[in-house]
Amino acid sequence: MSGMAGIDDELWAAIGDPTRLRVLDLLITAGTGTASSLSRALPVTRQAVAKHLAVLERTGLVHAEPAGREVRYQVDPDQFARACAQVSQVSRAWDGRLRRIKAIAEAIQRSRRPDAGSSPGS
Amino acid sequence: MEVGAIERSIFIEAAPEVVYEVVSDPEHLTRWYVDEADCRPEPGSAGHFAFGGPDRRVAVPVTVVEAVPGVRFRFRWMAPPAPEIPPVGAVLTAENSLLVTFDLMPQNGGTLLRVTEVGLREIGWEAALLEHYVNDHSEGWAALLGRLERYVGQLATR
Repeated sequence: MSGMAGIDDELWAAIGDPTRLRVLDLLITAGTGTASSLSRALPVTRQAVAKHLAVLERTGLVHAEPAGREVRYQVDPDQFARACAQVSQVSRAWDGRLRRIKAIAEAIQRSRRPDAGSSPGS
Repeated sequence: MEVGAIERSIFIEAAPEVVYEVVSDPEHLTRWYVDEADCRPEPGSAGHFAFGGPDRRVAVPVTVVEAVPGVRFRFRWMAPPAPEIPPVGAVLTAENSLLVTFDLMPQNGGTLLRVTEVGLREIGWEAALLEHYVNDHSEGWAALLGRLERYVGQLATR
């Protein structure tokens, strides 16, 4: 198994940016936000925030609705929960690989030296 | 540890020399890691790993960085779900690849195997950073999850 199947590349790319992660954080804390309100809380321009919001919206992590001359955004809880599950999947991938390494190495050790567990050579 | 690194350890009841074979020998790599491995465990050796069945196999580049039998094995590679994967044969650097390091330490007659994967921050794919957040209970991703739960709770009571 590759351990890679099922991970959504676009979703990864969307949350794989520190500024976008901050945007999500701010939206969750405040409930909603606009490119203007978010840019006041971040060290980036309103235009940059708008681009990040567009990426987040494309992957379904946030929803947009018109609010006067601005667009108001809020987090989509279901899609966000999905992203969180994928993050923990990556850390679990290495745990699975290490368990397989352990099983293979211990089988080899047992086949070569029945008293496996005694001190390794040299 | 660098922020943005994945680090995991496991104790193995086998000599470091045996564990080293398993983490570095292409034949073993196909038993625990990839579906196809072509790279000699020698510094500078470039080759490829491949994933998936024979009909839809995806090959990615790999370059061995360090190979000290029984002690340490390091290689650079890049794989899904990274947004951009260099072609097989490309020169792998800190800008376009991940650095995986296996450190083997003798312990209680066996081996403590530690794996670290770094380089994710530099290439803009923040899986490891996010994973770091998951494990950090004071701030970052964990705090974000906590706020999300409250947020979802608020939605439910509206």
